[in-house]
Amino acid sequence: MHIPDAFLPISHGIIYWLVALVFIALSLRWARSELDEDRVPLVAVLAAGIFAIQAMNIPIPWGTSGHMVGGALAAIVLGSPYAAVFILTIVLLVQGFLFADGGITAMGANIVNMGVIGGFVGYYSYKGVRGAIGRPVPAYFIAGWISLFAGAIVCALEMAAAGTFPLELGLVSMGTYHAVIGLIEGAITTVAIALITMVRPDIVSEKRGVAA
Amino acid sequence: MMDKKTFFIAGILVAIAIAAMAPFLASSNPDGLESAFFGMYGAKEIHGAELDEDVAVVAEEAVVEKTGNTFTFEALMPDYTVPGLDKEGEILAIVLGTILVLFIGLGFSRILAKSK
Repeated sequence: MHIPDAFLPISHGIIYWLVALVFIALSLRWARSELDEDRVPLVAVLAAGIFAIQAMNIPIPWGTSGHMVGGALAAIVLGSPYAAVFILTIVLLVQGFLFADGGITAMGANIVNMGVIGGFVGYYSYKGVRGAIGRPVPAYFIAGWISLFAGAIVCALEMAAAGTFPLELGLVSMGTYHAVIGLIEGAITTVAIALITMVRPDIVSEKRGVAA
Repeated sequence: MMDKKTFFIAGILVAIAIAAMAPFLASSNPDGLESAFFGMYGAKEIHGAELDEDVAVVAEEAVVEKTGNTFTFEALMPDYTVPGLDKEGEILAIVLGTILVLFIGLGFSRILAKSK
């Protein structure tokens, strides 16, 4: 889902960068007020793990592949959508500047799609689904799926606004591929949170994590 | 329950293990966005598996023309490769990236956690 520079006019890139900067500033405020020394290693390990898993492209049908993004994972584990913005911004900076994975002028759009949309949609769909069904496990999966799918739909809208993709065909093809890639996101989000909860039940706690 | 230090070290080891395995397991198929792009620019059927490499090159030129964004950037390890190295370069690139993200994450969050 990483948009390369060529896919967005520079003027659009600047607008998405400005939106991204607002959320980055809010995520820094979140980090200042909510992070303590205890959770610093957790944030760093989540960021490193998300970077590594994003390099693992899993084949899906139609000669295509997709990878985990991790916005829902970061937001659920750390109990705030801003955690996803914070972590995904670090991941995308390193990917863009060191590995040319995602553009530089397009990086703001990528931070919006994966960090902001991924984090907010992931976090609030988790809270909603968990509240409705009362159990966490299906909620992890659903939050992962929706967060990835929503990011792809927003990406298709950005591509349409840029004139890069026609609107309808863009929505259909991005939607089709990412409906499947969302299953990867849902599955890995569920497994990762289950593992973290197994070894450290205090981390994803109701009090610190999500007050569902 | 795992203590904090063990959890931290286990987490790092899991991340590095994923990073080291990624080059062997990762698919080189275009990702969802690229696949949608190639589909719309005639290099691939939306539901087809075949990519026409020649049309793909034309598509990449066509989109630059459309957006006017000719910005280019010389990344140190483009597409997770180390110039001159093969598979071991990919492992090196992703493992280095993982460790770098770990330290940036530690650095930034430590500074912010302290600045109350």
